[in-house]
Amino acid sequence: MTIHTFGAIDVGSYEQELKIFEVSKARGIRPVDSLVRRVDLGSDTYQTGKIRSGNVREVGDILREFREVMNNYRVTEYKAYGTSAIREMDNASMVLSLWEQRSGIHVGVLSNSEQRFLDYKSAAAKIGDFDSIISDSCAIVDIGGGSIQISLFSDGKLGATQNLRLGILRLYEKIRSIDARESQRDAMISEMVDSQLEVFQKLYLNNRKVRNLIIVDDYISALMQSRKMEDVPAAAFIEYVRMARDMSVPEIARRVQIADDNVPLLYISGVLMERIIEAFGTEHIWAPGITLCDGIAYEFAEKQKILPPSHNFEEDIIACAHNISRRYMGDETRGETIETIALRIFDALRKQYGLSKRERLLLRICAILHDCGKYISITNLAECSYNIIMSTEIIGLSHIEREIVANVVRFNHSEFVYYEEQQNMSDLDLDAYLMIGRLTAILRLANGMDRSHKRKFEDFGLTLKPDRLQINIRPGVDITLEKGMFAHRADFFEEIFGIRPVIRQKK
Amino acid sequence: MTGSENRKTKDSGDNFFRNPSFYINRELSWLQFDRRCLMEARSRENPLMERLNFLSITASNLDEFFMVRVASIQDMAKGGYTKRDIAGMTAGEQLCAILKEAHSFVDLQYSTYNRSLVPALSQEGITLITGYEGLTKDEKQYLDELFETEIYPVVTPMASDASRPFPLIRNKSLNLGVLLSRKKNAGPGILGRTKKAKKQLRTETENLEFATVQVPSVLPRVIRLPAAQGEEKQGRARIILLETVIRENMASLFQSYDIVCAYPFRIMRSADMDIDEDEAEDLLKEIEKSLKQRRHGDAIRLEVESGMDRRLLNILVEELQLSMDEIFEIDGPLDLTFLSKVRKLEGFDSLFEHRYSAPQPVPELPEGCDLFAQIRKGDIFLHHPYETFKPVVDFVAKAAVDPDVLAIKQTLYRVSGNSPIVAALARAADNGKQVTVLVELKARFDEENNIGWAKMLEKAGCHVIYGLVGLKTHSKITLVVRREEDGIRRYVHLATGNYNDTTARLYTDVGLFTCKEPFGEDATAVFNMLSGYSEPRSWNKLILAPLWLKDRFLYMIGREAEYAKRGERAQIKAKMNSLCDPDIIEALYKASAAGVQIQLIVRGICSLKVGIRGVSDNITVRSIVGNFLEHSRIFYFENGGKPEIYAGSADWMPRNLDRRVEIVFPLEDETVRAKALHILDVELQDTEQASILHPDGTYEKVDRRGKEKVNSQLVFCNEAVLAAKKMQEELHRTRLFVPEEHVEETGD
Repeated sequence: MTIHTFGAIDVGSYEQELKIFEVSKARGIRPVDSLVRRVDLGSDTYQTGKIRSGNVREVGDILREFREVMNNYRVTEYKAYGTSAIREMDNASMVLSLWEQRSGIHVGVLSNSEQRFLDYKSAAAKIGDFDSIISDSCAIVDIGGGSIQISLFSDGKLGATQNLRLGILRLYEKIRSIDARESQRDAMISEMVDSQLEVFQKLYLNNRKVRNLIIVDDYISALMQSRKMEDVPAAAFIEYVRMARDMSVPEIARRVQIADDNVPLLYISGVLMERIIEAFGTEHIWAPGITLCDGIAYEFAEKQKILPPSHNFEEDIIACAHNISRRYMGDETRGETIETIALRIFDALRKQYGLSKRERLLLRICAILHDCGKYISITNLAECSYNIIMSTEIIGLSHIEREIVANVVRFNHSEFVYYEEQQNMSDLDLDAYLMIGRLTAILRLANGMDRSHKRKFEDFGLTLKPDRLQINIRPGVDITLEKGMFAHRADFFEEIFGIRPVIRQKK
Repeated sequence: MTGSENRKTKDSGDNFFRNPSFYINRELSWLQFDRRCLMEARSRENPLMERLNFLSITASNLDEFFMVRVASIQDMAKGGYTKRDIAGMTAGEQLCAILKEAHSFVDLQYSTYNRSLVPALSQEGITLITGYEGLTKDEKQYLDELFETEIYPVVTPMASDASRPFPLIRNKSLNLGVLLSRKKNAGPGILGRTKKAKKQLRTETENLEFATVQVPSVLPRVIRLPAAQGEEKQGRARIILLETVIRENMASLFQSYDIVCAYPFRIMRSADMDIDEDEAEDLLKEIEKSLKQRRHGDAIRLEVESGMDRRLLNILVEELQLSMDEIFEIDGPLDLTFLSKVRKLEGFDSLFEHRYSAPQPVPELPEGCDLFAQIRKGDIFLHHPYETFKPVVDFVAKAAVDPDVLAIKQTLYRVSGNSPIVAALARAADNGKQVTVLVELKARFDEENNIGWAKMLEKAGCHVIYGLVGLKTHSKITLVVRREEDGIRRYVHLATGNYNDTTARLYTDVGLFTCKEPFGEDATAVFNMLSGYSEPRSWNKLILAPLWLKDRFLYMIGREAEYAKRGERAQIKAKMNSLCDPDIIEALYKASAAGVQIQLIVRGICSLKVGIRGVSDNITVRSIVGNFLEHSRIFYFENGGKPEIYAGSADWMPRNLDRRVEIVFPLEDETVRAKALHILDVELQDTEQASILHPDGTYEKVDRRGKEKVNSQLVFCNEAVLAAKKMQEELHRTRLFVPEEHVEETGD
């Protein structure tokens, strides 16, 4: 039996965690050790955009300790990620390099959507009847230090996901900065939360109730886990939170068995959840007690094909893209046509050009969102599409992947800007840019093949020749327009793939 | 107050159970415990050498009590601390009562020594010579030679005058105070004073000089005189104490002086260390510094031989700034711990206790077995010293050389002088294992030892940690992380006693080997917490102080009270070293008042009073003082027919529950639970070594009338022998090769 010893590190906003896992086909993901150190990076970043040097050094030392512990467990693979405090840092690259130099640990930065997606994945893996819970109305509320993410499910699919800057550390800092009296705390937190929830409700709920809530967080989950309560009726939960309100900090700490320092964050988490439960009309709560590290381990197991996927996450990403398209009144039928054509071209090229499954997913999203910018401006479609995609969360996509999608959709409608020309305007590396080129070439071709929006290429064949990609279309279909507009797109395709697409219609 | 009155009053408020008259002062209760030990020294039922041992223990106990407890109360009294203890006494009142009781106790110690033990020793052929007048010519010659060759070179007389301050008298050291008169026509003398510097101590009528001679601790205090031919064979011994020899030779140390008088004296200093751990950058260095300062701690007790010259006594009292009630005039040799050396005299085997067997093999862990494989079969309970401590040493030693072991983590509080466990930890580090050792540097009186161990382990490559700021780590836990075919498995040893192979032969303790995952997770979390790596959010099985152990105990006691109120069977059986936590006692009173049957086995301090009507009439307390020092802590809660049994390192004392890192662990496997419960039940039936606490706070041996004789320690010894024998037979049977018998076919 092959057992991988894997280390997952979360350089979080208020805590840094190392979890050691054993990952194997026989026993799944088994946590072996968990170390948590507490350095508040979020307060620095959220207020000044930088982390004070003492904290940088301290986290460097913590990472070095983590490295030693991983060595002791003979960890063979690890992943370390920073989250919102690192994301919002002005000098992230310098700090990350310093940490790597000090500890030998490379810390990547997760985009918000990536981070939430990892949490979501491990929740799906840990909750046995996840698919049945989300088939009813359900939301995952992922509470972080800087923000919270609410992901709504209906009919077993992800309907929408929204990030709200209501992280518990952020709320705590706000209350502290206002210097509120204890008696005012609840009202203040409620006000801050309610104002944002109201917008969320209007956007996504339309008076619908969300019967089930899955909480992903560090405090409430730990509390519920310690009480051996993975799921409870919402009313019981609220009663517990209200009871805690009347207790002193030491009393809460003693009762729920946490350190005094953590009580304010637990308290804010409780009030936050109470507001969400009331706003959503929630009836039942699940707290699987997972952390980002569990998600990182799950992703590792999934990528290594050690564990079968517990849920079809790709469909959630696609569902999320469709929702965005719908919100911006995209032409779904045309999107479907382009998606079909583009995927057929992609599949024809895949083997020859070593195209990945992930690229295929991105192409699908590009096709779905190909016209989202029209909602704002038909004439400035390219830039508007780019901006919409760049400012919308697509759960499961990294920041880089989102930028790839945004660029592909942009270059579908405008002149392609070469890597050498844009180097100073983007963080994208050459590999990412080559992917943009490949996907743009395919999307443009697919778009061109449905130039008339009449689905003339519903039935076509593809033959990959050494010098060309032959598109075979049955006789009798009038493709004059498509043929006329084809040359320019074919030139770009040829530039990227080195073969020329040719339309061949039997007479 | 009558029971019904009590009940009426207690309903009117929670403070009812905190009535000071319901509590016994912890210091006085401790003195009661030492008195119980003294009773064993007085008991003619015990073999003579065991009686000597008990008397020696009472002496060292009393020393420790003064250095720690009396010193701290004295500080409180001097500092004007007016808060009363749970028994309603101020620090000053406590000090008065303690000193009064201590004086009476010492009188009883020496009456036991002089009237009972010395004659008994003499009867058995051991004679203690108290002066040279009782020596034979040969013996005197032997001692003169001994003095010349071995004693004189290491003796350093120290004088006190204006140019030389009063010498530092070491804590607990035995000294001879000497008054000297300079001989006529003598030179400056060995005190070497110039005329100008000379400022003689003015005594009543004459100018005398004061000097001290420390009785060297590097030499054996008990000197066995050479036997006349054939005497040794007859089981006889004549002994003399080192201080007597020095005293008799005092003139040779001060040749320019006449010896006016020389008397032994001994002082006790406060052992309290004042360390600001928050500010300390290096705790180890800070403790080393404090240990040096401890030598200069305030003197809190002076022992002098009775009849000491008043002039000499006055000098000591003045210099050491002592009050009269802190002076103990002793009618016999000072520091009775020398009796433990008398026990070691060869040739007196018949005077020892022989009924108690040596530690036996643990039935589940036969010699040469695969320890880890045995633990995988199920939890293993160990009961020391009836069962050997060897598996615990082996656990660490085997882990140290096992290629599959990734890490070993252990807490060390008190370890033996040549600890095989420490050696194994060092070897493990050398073998590339991750070895984390928490060495508690603040373990009272073991600070220096532990600093030595810490340095040694660090040098060997172990990760040595000193624990959490402000808390002593008293928990006993070892974790071995092992990579096995089906993944990482954690083996845990939890115990009530220290990882000390020497005391494990003398103290009764229990331990548990387990590899259950929830215990392993918790053990990992304990070490992560102790090493400052993390702060665990929840625990599976272990209950930790000072986090929530006290709450948990209060909850469990309260739960029994609830069962009792509902008319269900409610019972608590608990065994510990000390009980003086006011919150726990209050909870026990409430539970008793509710009808819970509470049986306590408390070896030492017990601040709870029994027999208060309506308050504690359902509580019994017994104390067992026997051949072994009772040290295990086991707690049984009936829990409405689903009993919960725990063992652990914590007593029901504020220091254990609030100021120490302690671990209490549940016993889950049925066989393990049965063994633990058996310990409680047998001890509750003990008629030989148990004393019963009476409502007036005194203890008396169990009334044996109509009861079967039960000596619990002896019962456990015999059971361990039987179990080991059974195991050996089993092993023999399974290993015995029996050839299959040939059966002839009869063809029928």
